[in-house]
Amino acid sequence: MSTQRYVRDLLRGRRPRRFPADAEAAAELRAAITLAAAKPDADSPREEFVHDLHRRLSEQLAPAPTARSAPEPSSNVVPLRLGPTRRRVLLAGGVAAGAAAIGAVGDHLISADSTAGDTEAAGTLEPNVGTWRQVAASSDLEVGGVRQFDAGSVVGFVSRDAAGLRAVSGICTHQGCRLNLDPDGRQLDCPCHNTSFAVDGALVRHQLPQPPAALPHLQVRERGGQVEVYLPTV
Amino acid sequence: MSDSGERVAEPRYADWEAVYRDNVTRVYRMLYGKVGNKADAEDLTTEVFMAALGPLRLEASAPEVRSYLFTTARTVLAGHWRRTLGLEVTALDTDDERWLVDLGPEPEVPSTAPRRAEAILAQLPEPHRRILQLRFIDACSLREAAAALGITVGYAKVLQHRALKRAAALGEVAT
Repeated sequence: MSTQRYVRDLLRGRRPRRFPADAEAAAELRAAITLAAAKPDADSPREEFVHDLHRRLSEQLAPAPTARSAPEPSSNVVPLRLGPTRRRVLLAGGVAAGAAAIGAVGDHLISADSTAGDTEAAGTLEPNVGTWRQVAASSDLEVGGVRQFDAGSVVGFVSRDAAGLRAVSGICTHQGCRLNLDPDGRQLDCPCHNTSFAVDGALVRHQLPQPPAALPHLQVRERGGQVEVYLPTV
Repeated sequence: MSDSGERVAEPRYADWEAVYRDNVTRVYRMLYGKVGNKADAEDLTTEVFMAALGPLRLEASAPEVRSYLFTTARTVLAGHWRRTLGLEVTALDTDDERWLVDLGPEPEVPSTAPRRAEAILAQLPEPHRRILQLRFIDACSLREAAAALGITVGYAKVLQHRALKRAAALGEVAT
């Protein structure tokens, strides 16, 4: 049973595997987690981890070379029917792949209440008439990978992390500029106003008076070795 | 200021590195207390600092910075549960906030988890309390726990399962 597997993983110090939990399972896991976390000395961070995160933060916070010339809009785009050899797979390094699920974080220190609840501003795009369309081969989208797709009426990004597949729109929710995947493959940057989203669609940073909404999600599934996204039928 | 400057009302951080150094252990500990495993605690700590440090203003006082880290961590944890189990298994509450923000200079203090664990164990009947203590706190294998309790491995497994269900039913002391 999934709850027991989760508990077993906790006891063995492994990353517990996800499953759709119900309230009863949640109560049990809550107790298990609290007990597991009370093990003496278990909650000291590993030195390598502290060091490595420091290095990654230095890289991120270093003054960026701002004059990245406007990217050729088509250069990152993966056409829908390219052979595997021409497909670009952008692998994100490390654990943060697709992880940042942050609410609106403004350009200023924000009060304690203002972030909660902002993370799910956008819903899922459900076209009235839609079709499942292939956007990538499963084998081309490993855990930590992100791929851009261009389906004409919709552009977006599919990504895979430990929790599974995810697809989001590739258009900034502020004024409709097309987002670029950053060179690390970790976040989606708007070329217009320095807004960034995580690959799961959550807003990571912005400099706007009001935080723009998170990116709409698209339905995504895996069939016969292909990653498919539910898109409007043209 | 007198007393070698220790009474300065609003301490501030010199740079993001000072924020990181002073808070990485305590943020990690706080999150560990809510997920109970290293892999998730490391991912979530990473997420918190990646998200929080960029937009952070250093003019803010140290307690304000910690409040901000707390708020970010609360959002990050909520997102984690949404992604993995679909509902909120644990959440950061005002106790945790106090723990993070008011904690003095030493980040070595364990999170709120041990106190909460004790509260759970104290309410359980003896065999349930002992199996959970052995398995979770003392890190015994099933075999070791069974030996310590003088029962079979099979029964130890059943007992652990029941004990956890009982602990869960105790209710929301544990959150």
